[in-house]
Amino acid sequence: MKMVSRSRRLLAAALGLTTALTVTACGGDEKQASLDTITVMTKLFGTAPDPGGELQQAVQKLIGKKLDITWVPNADYNDKLNVTLASNSIPDLVVTNEKSPSFIRAADAGAFWDLTGKLDSYPNLKPANAQTARNVMVNGKTYGIYRTRPLLRSAVVYRKDWLAKVGLPEPQTVDDLYRIAKAFTEQDPDGNGKKDTYGLVIPKWPGNYASSSPYDTMETWFGAPNGWGQRGGKLVPGFDTEEFYQANRFMKKWVDEGLVNPDFATLDAGSWNDPFVQGKGGMIIDVNVRGTDLAGRFRQKDPKDFDKVSMVGNMKRSDGQKFSLPFTGYLDVLAISKQRIRTDEQLEQVLQTLDKLQSQEGSSLLTNGIEGRNFRLEDGKAVLINQDDAQVKVIQNDVDKAFIQLGTRASVGLGQYPFKYSNDIEQKLFDQRETLMQEDLKTAVHNPALPVVAPTAVEKGQTLDLIIPDARIKFLSGAISEEQLRAQVKRWYDSGGTQVAQEVNDLVSKLPK
Amino acid sequence: MATDLVADRAPDPPKSTRGRVPRAAPKTPGRRLALLLRNRWLYLMLLPGVLYFLVFKYWPMYGLHIAFKDYVPFLGYSGSPWVGLEHFEELFTGPDFGRLMANTLILALLTVVFVFPAPIVVALLLNELRVRIVKRSVQSLIYIPHFLSWTIVASLTYLLFSADFGVLAGFIHDVVGGQRVDYVAQEEWFRPIIILQLLWKQTGWGTIIYLAALANVDTQLYEAARVDGAGRWRQLWHITVPAIRPAIVVMAILTSGNLMDSGFEQIWLMTTSLNRSTSEVFDTYVYYIGITQGAFSYSTAVGLFKGVVGVFLIVGSNWLAKRLGQRGLY
Repeated sequence: MKMVSRSRRLLAAALGLTTALTVTACGGDEKQASLDTITVMTKLFGTAPDPGGELQQAVQKLIGKKLDITWVPNADYNDKLNVTLASNSIPDLVVTNEKSPSFIRAADAGAFWDLTGKLDSYPNLKPANAQTARNVMVNGKTYGIYRTRPLLRSAVVYRKDWLAKVGLPEPQTVDDLYRIAKAFTEQDPDGNGKKDTYGLVIPKWPGNYASSSPYDTMETWFGAPNGWGQRGGKLVPGFDTEEFYQANRFMKKWVDEGLVNPDFATLDAGSWNDPFVQGKGGMIIDVNVRGTDLAGRFRQKDPKDFDKVSMVGNMKRSDGQKFSLPFTGYLDVLAISKQRIRTDEQLEQVLQTLDKLQSQEGSSLLTNGIEGRNFRLEDGKAVLINQDDAQVKVIQNDVDKAFIQLGTRASVGLGQYPFKYSNDIEQKLFDQRETLMQEDLKTAVHNPALPVVAPTAVEKGQTLDLIIPDARIKFLSGAISEEQLRAQVKRWYDSGGTQVAQEVNDLVSKLPK
Repeated sequence: MATDLVADRAPDPPKSTRGRVPRAAPKTPGRRLALLLRNRWLYLMLLPGVLYFLVFKYWPMYGLHIAFKDYVPFLGYSGSPWVGLEHFEELFTGPDFGRLMANTLILALLTVVFVFPAPIVVALLLNELRVRIVKRSVQSLIYIPHFLSWTIVASLTYLLFSADFGVLAGFIHDVVGGQRVDYVAQEEWFRPIIILQLLWKQTGWGTIIYLAALANVDTQLYEAARVDGAGRWRQLWHITVPAIRPAIVVMAILTSGNLMDSGFEQIWLMTTSLNRSTSEVFDTYVYYIGITQGAFSYSTAVGLFKGVVGVFLIVGSNWLAKRLGQRGLY
């Protein structure tokens, strides 16, 4: 009998353990922890900072609170975020795409604070740009503090030395661009005697339709709406316009004539720079930050001879009209979870902390680093210093690869204080961004439907989202004809797009003007 | 011990001499207890296994009920509203269902036709090899790919078959001529590539179990057959194949349960915008809508459907095996 009771006890213990595990795994314990520590989840682009590191200590000292940060590598971020939203242990502050179906579902269920109208009383949190503040809305509500980015940063980056070699002027129109691509492909710009170059490098674009891909950019140049546009007093999706087909026919010509990298449909977005730096491709249509970035890569290859990169803004259409592709003006928002921050007082406390974090001093810590340690100010510009010191290197890494992701007032590539480069070439490309942006903003085509999210799109996103980008790539690579591309647009409407269009129109008409 | 047997049963001398408790012993509570006590250490060793299944296999099944709810994590299991069969209706009537079903089934069929018999054929071939050292080294060499991850296999495939820098694609182009084909981006090449990858990676590993079965064949049978004048083919057909037939049947039944599992990782890694019409299967679809789109309930419904079909397949093929006079799995 002794053994029986023992095995019974073992069984009971086993069951108890199982239950305990389950409860801890799924339990929504309502600990009223104090807000001395704020938990954060954000993106990471390299190695994760040490929580005891100099920079984190400095940030914590400034805001007077401890930070418990979960750094998630950028490539896995969306998956991890969705899993976190499902796990019921959401950090206090989350960097998130506030338009993603999973976030909207969670926010609708009350998992996040609705910050509409609450940010205006905080000098460092209230939106600095009205257009961006509008873009960030979800059907009239603001769910987070946007992480600012330049509002217009589309540009064409090209090989300066190749252009000189083929003897063509800087491009102004899409036709100029085509001529350059053709010359880059056929006139042996790298002078190795072989026809082994192409005009334009495009990767397999990871985003959906109207996600600022090179395809979207060119469509905008042809006058297609950026996402959604007016036609006959109603909003229609950009891919349902003749300009969309014109632009795609134009791009298909590039593909057919070999002016684009042949593996454009499968080239990973992570290795987009390689063909350019290796001298296989001569142009990249993307954000203007890439110009400086690429120049830096050439400098690393050969510090003596790297003046190879130049850039221009958006192109004019053949008839001289210009349409520029603006970006949303932000990338993701900082949303505040309701799981631990339950009352208005607690929210206020968190917002005050965030306001301190995004003050000029905090913003400079997040985006530039520690003054006197890894940078110093020179005419209002940040000059990197002590970069050979191992400890300073750590600070620099923590800023560039990690903490900059928490900044909402200054942005990646700019910083609270603009960088001062050690050479004129990169400096010029950097300074050029502002000029290009101001010039192209005049012709920017904003997406009127950005502030709304149609319920059907949330529900049927899984079916709808891939139809158009897939069809577009198939058309460009010659797998389907234009008729079939049009049929795919029709399929989009039939699979729920008709409803989405209806809802988008309704929701936009209800937006505050 | 023989005295413990029930009266109407004939005594079983060989068993009783082994000193074990006969299987046919009546299961009175007292006896069970005695059995339990006697084998306590075995039961104790069983415990971790049982726990594992309880915690990681059975308990999560509780979560399956969100397939019938509009699950929002913040509201939790209890707070999310019930919606009945809505998600299943959406799946069965939705535009994706036919394509998903076709893709999954076609891949499953191709696997059955090409991948399943491959290890059997290779094992039989290896068995015919008479030089031991050759046999051993070939066997070892062909199961090495099994240890490579799908990520590596996929990268190799891209390296070999993509249009820009595909070494093998370039070679094929030079030999066959015609237009350069971007194999990894073509929807009609997706299935052949998947099958080739599976063959390359899994065949060698799969031969292990058949070779083990073959090792058990009584060599006297071959000698007898030779005396009767049977050639190599006759021996293969009448001795070797029947000898490994039980192994084949068990493997077939086990495979049938996984027919709806198309190997998520492999397919996900090989999917591009261009081949999605042939590459999207239930597994990748569940991941895409569940994890990247956050539609938890809907993807659970899809996964549940897939699981139910898998159970039917395994039960059905077991039934079929028994009907055909084989032993079956259970």
